[in-house]
Amino acid sequence: MHEFLTAGIIGISLGAQYALLALGFTLIFGILGVINFAHGGFYALGGYVAYAAVSQAGLPFPLAVLAAVVATAALGALYERFLIERLVDDHLATMMLTLGLYLVISTGLLAVFGPQSPEFSFPVQGTLRAGTLYLPLENLVVLAVCAAAIGALWLLIYRTDFGRALRALADDRKVATTQGMRPGLLFPLAFGLATGLAGLTGALVTPILALSPSAGDPVLVTSFLTVILGGLGSIAGAVVAAVIVGFVEAYASVYLGGSTGALILFVTVLVILLARPTGLFGREIRGA
Amino acid sequence: MGRIAKRSLVAAVVAAGLTFTAGAGAQTTCEVRIGALGPMSGPAAQWGLAMLGAAELAAAEANARGGLQVGSQRCSVSVLSYDTRYTAEGAAAGVNNLASQGVRFLIGPVGSPEVTGAKPVATRHRLLMFANSYAKNAIGPQWPLVFHLGPGPSEWAPPIVRLAKEQFGMRSVAIVAPNDQGGTDIASVDAEVYRQHGITATEEYYQRGTTNFAPIVTRLLASRPDVVDTASSPPGDAGLIVRQLRQAGFTGPIGRLGGPGTEEIIRVAGGIDVVRNFYWYEVAPTEDPRVRAISDEYRRLLNREPPENTNLWLWVVGARMTLRAIERAGTATDTNRVAAALRELPVEDPNLGRGAWTGQSFFGINQELSLPFGMGMILDGRMVGVRRIDVSPQ
Repeated sequence: MHEFLTAGIIGISLGAQYALLALGFTLIFGILGVINFAHGGFYALGGYVAYAAVSQAGLPFPLAVLAAVVATAALGALYERFLIERLVDDHLATMMLTLGLYLVISTGLLAVFGPQSPEFSFPVQGTLRAGTLYLPLENLVVLAVCAAAIGALWLLIYRTDFGRALRALADDRKVATTQGMRPGLLFPLAFGLATGLAGLTGALVTPILALSPSAGDPVLVTSFLTVILGGLGSIAGAVVAAVIVGFVEAYASVYLGGSTGALILFVTVLVILLARPTGLFGREIRGA
Repeated sequence: MGRIAKRSLVAAVVAAGLTFTAGAGAQTTCEVRIGALGPMSGPAAQWGLAMLGAAELAAAEANARGGLQVGSQRCSVSVLSYDTRYTAEGAAAGVNNLASQGVRFLIGPVGSPEVTGAKPVATRHRLLMFANSYAKNAIGPQWPLVFHLGPGPSEWAPPIVRLAKEQFGMRSVAIVAPNDQGGTDIASVDAEVYRQHGITATEEYYQRGTTNFAPIVTRLLASRPDVVDTASSPPGDAGLIVRQLRQAGFTGPIGRLGGPGTEEIIRVAGGIDVVRNFYWYEVAPTEDPRVRAISDEYRRLLNREPPENTNLWLWVVGARMTLRAIERAGTATDTNRVAAALRELPVEDPNLGRGAWTGQSFFGINQELSLPFGMGMILDGRMVGVRRIDVSPQ
């Protein structure tokens, strides 16, 4: 019973982190139709910006996280505006552009910070305990920030004119453009919003796990898996799928071990996709 | 002096000058290229960078002496490197890449997956390879040009487990390692040695690339072990495992019968107070001033800080021995002759001291370069130090 409850707590923590990552990934596909292979790079970059802000600039951790969000959002918006925007309808070209950006980011981090993990600790330490159950406070803080960020994003997309404009562009770009929506302005903002979410996750999560230039490698795989399971382009689907992935990973690893657990996760996703090839919320997939 | 005689004298002087110039040119243009093959990025980067640093130091030492004497030629030594990212395919590609640049001698690779990937390709190119790794088949009679920088876990695990049991009195251990050859080959040997000392051992494996070990930690602690051993988990992974073990309430000692990386483990775990009670296999007696002098030599010759990982001190012996064997064989191209010379070299290093060629009983071939090693210990959050353990010849 102890292991069952502990696995549940771990699953919630993992699910929240995966949701934040998957939201940015699915947002870019849903609105622009671009698969962002640089998503893991923005995660790692967010971690390093926060690390540099704390260790070199001496900023308090919350401001360092804010700096990471601003830096990754700005880089994403500029990259979209000056490079992706020119080829936004060419899927192969945008794939190469984002993959190339990932290589540039990870190699740049390697050159600047070196290959070894720096000492980067979460400012909130300690563990809540109830009998044999435990919850590190840092995980609790990350969970709360993730929940707040997901809620804020939902409000932004579904309750503001900006969100309505983005959804209109996602539904039908031509009609939306004739109605006065400006892709040249809105696309960079959407891209920056998504990369800012990746940067936020990196700044929050890497002090809990580990920071290295290759920290983004597994992030891309997890984000891709989650978003495909939820239905490419679906915000609700990404959140639900992230929770499923988090729980499957936690329970399978605890009860079946690290090797079999990883296998079970992929088999579960495969089975779900066989039943629903468009993903759990496939109806919301952006019309190509 | 007659006209003909004058001409002869001039001709003789010119000829002598040409001969001298040609000879001097041949002596200075010869170059021996050494390949450094290993992980230069990712969680195992510490090991690869230490290996690269050792190759560069051995080359700098040789060049500072005026180069290697290879037959009648005086050759400079240069080092080319390749980042394998700790993968078999990366290592195989690296061997091809380095061979295409004229490399005949490889220092590395470090890990078992890399060694498995590199061996067939290196054999095809007839390269001499000085590999590390704890693979059960790291070397063997079928790989006569592959040497092992040891000793391996079959040599160093028994004395360390005996000393750890004396200190901590444990009765059970859970060993955690990656689920590829780099983890399974060493964890299974470690487990066997623990059992030989009357300690119940369980093995737990994880997918390389795992970023959050909380589920693995929960599973490890379900068997209520007295000790958790991180074996050959890369230092970055091991540091996170240690941190999450402590968060989960595990207060027992943590062992590490695997690759070195204590500094990074302490850093990622969150400090020596978090690590608290820890014992590990150290590749060299790191508190010996002669061993530490290698780092001073590195600073002096290469004018920069040496790599952090203590593997530097072990790898430098392998690189030095390779260069000595090239000189003794008198060839930088015939790797069979260099290998024969290497087998005959006595294992004696100015910094690490006397060692022995081992490997016959475990690998079936006496090509394991075994040198004195150490056992490190942290007790109650205090660094106790590294104890020297000598090896015996086979």
